[in-house]
Amino acid sequence: MSLLVLDTLTKSFGGLSAVDDLSLAVRAGEIFALIGPNGAGKSTTFNLISGLLAPDRGRIFFDGADITRTPPHSRAHLGVGRTFQLMQPFHDMTVRENVMVGELFGHTVLKSLPAARRDAEEICELVGLGHLLDRGVTALGLADLKRLEIARALATHPRLLLLDEVMAGLTPTEARQAVASIQGIRARGVTILLIDHVMSSVRDLAERVAVLNFGRKIAEGTFETVAHDPAVIEAYLGQDEADGSR
Amino acid sequence: MTGRALVRGGLLLAVLAAVVVLPLWVNRTQPYYLQLSINVLIFATLALSWDILARTGQLSLAHAAFYGLGAYTSVLLTTRAGLPIVAGMAAGAVVAVVAAVLLGVLTLRLRGIYFAIATLAFSETLRVITNQVRFTGAATGLVAPPLLGGHRPSQYLVILTILLALTLVSWWVNRSRWHFAFTAIRANEEVAAVMGVDVVRFKVLAFAISALFAGITGAFYAHVFLFISPLEAYSLAVSVGALVAPIFGGLYTTAGPLVGAVVLRAGEEVLRSTVQRGYPIIYGFLLAAVILYMPGGLAGVWASLLARIPRPARRGARGEPAGS
Amino acid sequence: MLIFGVLRSGLYSLTSVGLALSVGVIGIVNFAHGEFLMLGAFLGYWLFVSYGVDPLAAIPIGAAAIFLLGGAVYQLSIRRVLRAPELNQMLLTFGLSIFLQNLAIILWTGDPRVATVSYKAEALAVGPFTLGVPQLVVFGLAMALTIGLYAVLGGTRVGKAMRAVAQNRLGASLLGIDVDRIYLLAFGLSTALAGIAGMMITLQLSVSPFIGLLYTLKAFAIMVIAGLGNINGVIYASLVLGLSEAFVEFYVPQGGGWAEGVFFFLILVVLLVRPRGLFR
Repeated sequence: MSLLVLDTLTKSFGGLSAVDDLSLAVRAGEIFALIGPNGAGKSTTFNLISGLLAPDRGRIFFDGADITRTPPHSRAHLGVGRTFQLMQPFHDMTVRENVMVGELFGHTVLKSLPAARRDAEEICELVGLGHLLDRGVTALGLADLKRLEIARALATHPRLLLLDEVMAGLTPTEARQAVASIQGIRARGVTILLIDHVMSSVRDLAERVAVLNFGRKIAEGTFETVAHDPAVIEAYLGQDEADGSR
Repeated sequence: MTGRALVRGGLLLAVLAAVVVLPLWVNRTQPYYLQLSINVLIFATLALSWDILARTGQLSLAHAAFYGLGAYTSVLLTTRAGLPIVAGMAAGAVVAVVAAVLLGVLTLRLRGIYFAIATLAFSETLRVITNQVRFTGAATGLVAPPLLGGHRPSQYLVILTILLALTLVSWWVNRSRWHFAFTAIRANEEVAAVMGVDVVRFKVLAFAISALFAGITGAFYAHVFLFISPLEAYSLAVSVGALVAPIFGGLYTTAGPLVGAVVLRAGEEVLRSTVQRGYPIIYGFLLAAVILYMPGGLAGVWASLLARIPRPARRGARGEPAGS
Repeated sequence: MLIFGVLRSGLYSLTSVGLALSVGVIGIVNFAHGEFLMLGAFLGYWLFVSYGVDPLAAIPIGAAAIFLLGGAVYQLSIRRVLRAPELNQMLLTFGLSIFLQNLAIILWTGDPRVATVSYKAEALAVGPFTLGVPQLVVFGLAMALTIGLYAVLGGTRVGKAMRAVAQNRLGASLLGIDVDRIYLLAFGLSTALAGIAGMMITLQLSVSPFIGLLYTLKAFAIMVIAGLGNINGVIYASLVLGLSEAFVEFYVPQGGGWAEGVFFFLILVVLLVRPRGLFR
C-alpha cells in the first residue's frame, strides 16, 4: 500500500527546473532513499512534500488523499513530518520546549501543556537528549542538534518521516548510531523517506532507492541495482569530472 | 508555592496597589500626578500591546495607525452620529482590529525590514489621507466629547482597567500554548508550520489583539484630551515609543514593556522640563544604547543580576541566565 | 509636468543611491540616512549664511565633513551590530536617526530656514518650457554624481572591491580584500552622498530637522521599487517616483498634500505585488 505518491511533480525557479516530472511511490513501512548529485532537486522535493513550496504541475497523495493544496501545518496533522538539513532549532527555547512545540501543535487533538511536556521528555529520552532537557539550544553540538531535529519531527507523531541529510558531518560511530535509531523509528511503524549523500548509510538503511539528476528521476530500485546502473554512474562521475576539471 | 514566594507575591501586590491608589489620593492637592499617571498608563498599554505582536516576530511600525483609527472612529461616531462614548470606543477597537487583520494578511509574506517599511507606509498613508480629507477634519483636527464628564479620577480608573485587562491577556498568552506558537513562529516560520503550527492564524490573531488594545486606547486618549489631529494621533512618535519601551524593558515579557514604559515616560517628564523640544532624543539614545550594550533590555540585566547571586535556589526561568 | 518629475528624480537618485550602496555592500538598511542629508543641508546653510559660500561650491567641503562623520558613526556603532540579527541593526539605525533628528531640533530649533541664493529665482527658457535654474543645476549635478558613482564602482579598484564584497563577503576576504575597510569606506561614501544631496536641497528648498525622515522614506521607496541592494536600478526607480509625484501634484485636486503620500502608496503596492522590486 503506497503511503506517499508523487505524480508528475514539476517545479521551476525562474526558468530553471528544479524538479521535473517526478513520479514515485513510497510504500507504508519501508525506508526509501532519494539520492543524486548536488542540485538534483532532492531538497526541493522535500519542500514540495511538506508543503513549503507549491508545485507548478503534478499532484501529491498521502494515504490516498490529495494533499497538493493542503497547507503545511495541516500536512503535519495528517502525519507528514520532516527534519531540516540546515538545523534550525527555535533559538529562544530550551530543548524540551523545542520538542513541546511539536507535541502541542502536531496533532489534530489538542494536548494539554503538562501532557505535552511529559511526552516531549519521553521523546527526548528516546533519542538520547534526556540529559539536555533544560539546555538552551545555542549550546548544542552537531550530533545533539541532529537528535533535536529528529525529536521535533517525532513529536508530531508522523506516519511518514522525511529525513534531510541526517548523516552529514557525523563520525562513523555516530553514523552507526543514527542508522540504528532510524531503524528503531521504522520499527515503531513510521515510514521513512530520506535524502543523503553518505552512501554507506544509505546502503545499510534503504530498501528502495530513487536517483535524481537535474530534477528528473533517472533510476529506481534496490541500492545494488541502482549502484550498477550506467546512467547513475555517469550522473555521479559526470559531476566528479566537472568538479575535477575546475 | 512556598511560604516565601507567597510573601513576596503579597508584598509585590501591596506595593502595586499602593502605587495605583497614590495618584488618586494625592489628586486633591496635586492634580498633576493624576494627569501624568493617565499618560503613563496610556503609554504602558501601547507598549504592551505592541509587544504582543512582536512576540510573533512581527516588528511593526504601524502601531500609531491603530491608535489613530481608534481615536478617529470614536470621535466621528460620537460627534457626527451621536453615539454614546462607550459605543464609540468599542467601535474604535473594532475598526482597529479590522484594519489590523487586513494589514496582517497583506504582509504575511514580508519579513524583517520589508515588513517594517510596509507597516510604516501603511501608518503614514493613513496619516496623509486623514490630513487631506475634510470628512476627518483634515489638518485642523476634531474636537471630542469628554469621557465621564471630564472627571479625571474616573478616567484614570478606566485606563487602569484597560491596562489590567491587557496585562492579564499578556500574562495568559505567555503561560499558555500560545507562547510556544508565538516563539516558534518568531524563531522560524517554516519550521513552525511543518511542526503543525497554523502560522497564518497566529500571526493575524496577534495583530488583532495588539490593535484591539491600541485602538481602544486611542479612543480613550481622544475623549480625555478632547482634541485629535493627524499629526498627533498618527504620529510616528507613538509607534516609536511603543517599540522603544519593550526593547528597553525586555521584549516578549509582560513586565518588561510595563516597566520600560513607566521608566521612560517618567524620564520623559523630567526631560521635558529641561529640554523643551527634541526630548525624544532620549529615545534615540536609549534605543541605540540598548542595542549596543544591553540587548536583553532591563529584563535581561535583571536576569543576569539574578544569575550572579550564588545561591543554588536562584535560577533563571529556564535554568540558564537569559542572554548567555 | 514631465519635466518637473524628471528634474526632481535627479535629486532622488542621488539620495537613494547612497542608501542602495549601504544596503548592497554592507547589508545594512540605514534608517538614519536622511539625517546625514539633513546635516549636510544645515552645513550648507550655515556656510552660506556665515561665509557667503554658495552651497554648490561648498559641496566638496560638505562631502568631506559628512564622510568623516559617517565614518565615525560607523566605527562607533554600526560596526558592532553587523553580525547581530537584522532586527538589531534596524533598531540601531532607527535609534540613531531619532537621536540625530532631535539633536538638530535642540541645537537649531525646529524652524525651517531658507537660503536665498542670488540666482534662486532665475529661470531658463528651454523650448516651450521655463525651467528654474537651480533645479536644472541640481539635476545636472545630481545625475553627474550618480553616474560618477557608477563609474567608480565599475572602474576603480576600490569600486570593484566594493562590488566584490557586495556579492560575496567571504570570497572577497579570501581574495585579500580588507572587508572591514571596505565597509567603512562604503558607509562613509553613502553618508557623504546623502550630505551632498542635502546641500543641494539648501539651494532649492527650506532646511529643517524634519526633512531627514522624509528623504529616508523616499529613498526607501525608491530602493524598494528598484529592489533592495540593486544599485543600478535606482535611476529608473527615481524616475518612477519623480514622475508619479509630479503627476499627482498636477492632476489631482489639492495635489500638493496628496503627493506627499505617493511614495508610501508606491511602497505598499510594490511590496505587496512584487517584493523583489520592479527592476531586477
